[in-house]
Amino acid sequence: MSSGVAVDLENITIRFGDFTAVRDANVSINGGDFFSFLGPSGCGKTTILRAVSGFLEPSEGRVLIGGNDMAGIGPNKRPTALIFQNLALFPLMKVWENISFSMEVAGASAAERRKRADELLDMIALGGQGDKLPSELSGGQKQRVAIARALCANPDVLLLDEPLSALDLKLRQHMRTELREIQKRVGITFIYITHDQGEALTMSDNVAVMKAGVIDQIDTGHNIYDDPSTPFVASFVGENNVFRGKVKSISGNEAVVTTNRSGDLLSRITPAQVGNLKVGDDAMMFIRPEALELAPTDADSKTTITANVINEEFEGNSFSVFLEGDGGKMIKMSVPNLGQDHISARGENLSLRYDASNAVTMPAGELASE
Amino acid sequence: MKKKMIFSDFFKNNGVVMGTLLIGLVSFWLIFLIILPQLSMLDYSFRFNLPPAEVGGPKDVYTLSNYEHLIYGSDSTHQTYNTVDLKVFVRTIIAAMLVTIFNIFLCYPLAYFLGQSKGSGFVRLLVVLLIIPYWINEILRAFALRIIFGDSGLLNEALMFLHLTSEPIDFIRQDIALYAGLGYAYILLMLFPMYNVIESLDRNQIEAARDMGASWVHIHRRIVIPHAKPGIVSGATMVFMLSAGALAAPQILGGPSSLWFTQLVYQWFNDSLNWQQGAAYAIVLLASTIIIVLTVMKIFKVNMGDIGK
Amino acid sequence: MSSANLIRVALGAYLLIFFSYLLGPLVVMSLTAFNSSSFPTVSPWACFSYEWFDVLFNDKHIRDGIYYSIVIGIGTVILSVSMGLAASIVLTQVWPKLRSTYYTMIIAPILIPGVVLGISTLVFWDRAGAFFGATDGSFLYGLFHNGIFLTILGQSSFIASYAMLVFVARLQRFDTDLTEAALDLGATHTQAFRKILLPFMRPAIASASVLAFLASFENYNTTTFTIIDYKTLTTVLAQKVRLGINPSISSLAFIIIVLTIFAALAFEAANRNKEHKLAVKKGKASERKSGILPSFMTGNPAAILLVLLAFVVIVMVGTAQKYSPETCKIEVREAKQIAIQQRIEQLKEARRLKDEAKAATQSDAPAAPTTAAPKNSGAFGNVFAPTNLSDEDDAAPKAAPKDGNGAFGNVFDPNNLNSE
Ligand SMILES: Nc1ncnc2c1ncn2[C@@H]1O[C@H](COP(=O)(O)OP(=O)(O)O)[C@@H](O)[C@H]1O
Ligand SMILES: [Mg+2]
Repeated sequence: MSSGVAVDLENITIRFGDFTAVRDANVSINGGDFFSFLGPSGCGKTTILRAVSGFLEPSEGRVLIGGNDMAGIGPNKRPTALIFQNLALFPLMKVWENISFSMEVAGASAAERRKRADELLDMIALGGQGDKLPSELSGGQKQRVAIARALCANPDVLLLDEPLSALDLKLRQHMRTELREIQKRVGITFIYITHDQGEALTMSDNVAVMKAGVIDQIDTGHNIYDDPSTPFVASFVGENNVFRGKVKSISGNEAVVTTNRSGDLLSRITPAQVGNLKVGDDAMMFIRPEALELAPTDADSKTTITANVINEEFEGNSFSVFLEGDGGKMIKMSVPNLGQDHISARGENLSLRYDASNAVTMPAGELASE
Repeated sequence: MKKKMIFSDFFKNNGVVMGTLLIGLVSFWLIFLIILPQLSMLDYSFRFNLPPAEVGGPKDVYTLSNYEHLIYGSDSTHQTYNTVDLKVFVRTIIAAMLVTIFNIFLCYPLAYFLGQSKGSGFVRLLVVLLIIPYWINEILRAFALRIIFGDSGLLNEALMFLHLTSEPIDFIRQDIALYAGLGYAYILLMLFPMYNVIESLDRNQIEAARDMGASWVHIHRRIVIPHAKPGIVSGATMVFMLSAGALAAPQILGGPSSLWFTQLVYQWFNDSLNWQQGAAYAIVLLASTIIIVLTVMKIFKVNMGDIGK
Repeated sequence: MSSANLIRVALGAYLLIFFSYLLGPLVVMSLTAFNSSSFPTVSPWACFSYEWFDVLFNDKHIRDGIYYSIVIGIGTVILSVSMGLAASIVLTQVWPKLRSTYYTMIIAPILIPGVVLGISTLVFWDRAGAFFGATDGSFLYGLFHNGIFLTILGQSSFIASYAMLVFVARLQRFDTDLTEAALDLGATHTQAFRKILLPFMRPAIASASVLAFLASFENYNTTTFTIIDYKTLTTVLAQKVRLGINPSISSLAFIIIVLTIFAALAFEAANRNKEHKLAVKKGKASERKSGILPSFMTGNPAAILLVLLAFVVIVMVGTAQKYSPETCKIEVREAKQIAIQQRIEQLKEARRLKDEAKAATQSDAPAAPTTAAPKNSGAFGNVFAPTNLSDEDDAAPKAAPKDGNGAFGNVFDPNNLNSE
């Protein structure tokens, strides 16, 4: 089985009439990687994938697969296989015929096709179900048939367009692990599209976060979560408390921001923006809910915030505490459930602190809308 | 530039072989079966009926005489009007309208009944019963009415048996048979589009209106009819066009004097062998019916996309 | 009476009127097929007879007409279904701004009067022949003036629109991702069309083909212009009906009606059966217990009606082999003869009296006209002349060879459908 074919997108721009769906995307994906595009619905993820699979030609830029320029090569000639958002199983064909369709159009004999289909069916744990129609399978089974069908074509690159979005929560979590395992087993490059950050972070070697046609950040899941490079990434991936303000002082990679409502606060400058931020700039500082904790009385005022408790929600593994700071600033804190009955009482005034290394500051910008 | 892009996209989406086949079939249909034939008929209608030897000769020039004939008849001084043909024309258009209106009123209650009582066995039986006459030949349906309306037909026999009349009524000469036949011929083309739209109306809307105290008439006027409008106009368009263009029913059910406009066209073609004159009459029929239909569609704010649903 | 009851009664009356208007004429027409009277009528009823079927099956024009109708029907199905399918596929892809113009163009033929389509087809291909310089006797000239060729083109020009409507409805439910998935897996466009779209469209193609064939088979307005020197069943019928009607046309109508009912019931029965199977699968209905009736029929009224109808037809064909209305006809004829004889006697008497009266005043008056009318062959123009009544019963049937096999004697003769 072929493995490890790299995919490079060089300065890709894709327009539909006057509308630019993807603007100047540069991505290089290592062979054998599990690579995800993460972004809200409508940001151009599917469009990028269709340019890789050959259903549309980029208006500008090049798509390279294994170093070869794909311009002018149709989808049926590219070494890619696409798993559609709605799976697109052929409803009138049996499961085994679906799986071996790529061999059928290449002219393989029925016996050969059946044999290969049965192998793949065993691999996806659906042995003996080849004679069913797709409509007779459950959602998760259909999902796996779609994967087997794509793998049967021996692609160098597998493209997956939100393949889990139609499944229920339990199955979705199960399929995440399964997909990752299949990818490890076959060793080919996976390009995965999702608007669900959980999926992107758990499965991927690298993630590209997109906003309205523009790629904001490409990095490992860990870095994306800890060191978001733009306010959009910080607010889209995971939950974050955002504090707007002006940079008061900078020392090394730390900055003090005079926030609009919560006084001066100290934090790290996010690595991608070190050097871009100057004293007096509009800035945004982000603190994740789990980075906040109850402050001892002698805490440093540059890393403390006081606020009144409004509400408390029990989430199972944690408590979410919603507070209102000075000037009506809403703050969320997450406290792990270690057996306490509750954290606070409504109306109680709390002092919260955080570690400066757990808060990041960057130039002000657009946030992900709720 | 944009056009070129559309074409290249089309071939990219369909491949060269399929793309060519698709474009080829559609072009053949539109160009050779519709556009060019209509244009050549239009061209023909402006020519003289010349013997074959003179076609293409000096006498083969464009003329309005075929159209003038409809208005003035063979009177070249244009003093008198061709009252016979003009009368036939006006009668055809007006009668086709009346037939259409008659069909609307006759079909609406049934369409409503069928459309709103979903799926019971009785309703399905009615639908099957409706489909049967739909597929019986137009000629045979006219023939059936002729049996009924004839001098010694069932209707006259019945009327005389009941002593409602002493002499057989000449339904055919009175054009009653013709109008009944035209109404009969295309009634299902009115019913089915109406039925389809009414069926798609959510019953809850009617119930909500009733709940708010709307009267039966009010419900129909404000809810059902506005919803059914595209179907009604679509059906009316079909019935009007087909009635105005009917040939079989007038030939079989029309009395000797009651000529339908299509019959004039037919006579110019098959009896007088004057194709040019026939083409001119056909153009007049086509143009006037289309203008009427477009006007009605404009008035009722219905567009072409609703036709044929 | 409560208002709900009033509405129910009104609805019932309305349904009765509507369906009488729709079906009554067909029932009456069917009945006339079995009346031996040579004019299609139900009253007075002469004798129950199958002879008009005999006349029908021996009518060469009708047999030829059926043959050409089928040939043209097949040609029209092939041409109009492929054009309609292509047009509907293009409709799904056409540039949004062009879409409504394009739709108007492909739907327009439905609204153009059939007469106009027939004429324009005729005129255009005549012109095309002249344009290509085709002379009388050349192949092109022959083709462009061939009634079958022109009729197929003329009919297809609007039947393709009907087919297109059927396809558009089905295509709306087609998931274009399927075609893309096939391409992605290496299929060529032609393979994707053949293996994905075509199988999906198959039910629509079947119904469009049936629709196109029926529309072609019954078309008159266009065909009457384009058919030139051939005849289809419809044009033969139209000519017959215009020249003079006789019950053999009723018998044809009866056969068509029975076939239509058969098809409609079969379709409905199959539908019900499919629905029921689906319901069983979903566990919403129990599997039918197979009792005396096959499972296909239980709880399926359409299927039961279908089987009953088949039974009735078999019985009819069976009795037609044996039944002979001759005795009845002789009785009726004798009764009529007597009545007419009496009438003639009366007339003679009256005339004699008149003549005598005249002779009394005018001794050199010309001889009274003879009462014996020439034996005519049943054209309906003078059917009503009293002197003619005695010939009425056997005028048309005599034209048909009676080979003693009964009315349906040679229905099954394979030569029947061949054109001679
Ligand atoms: N064929 C097309 N024509 C015009 N606009 C399109 C087309 N395909 C996608 N778009 C637009 O491009 C944007 C990105 O779409 P898409 O890539 O499907 O988003 P997503 O990230 O949800 O997959 C959307 O605003 C969509 O409306
Ligand atoms: Mg998408």
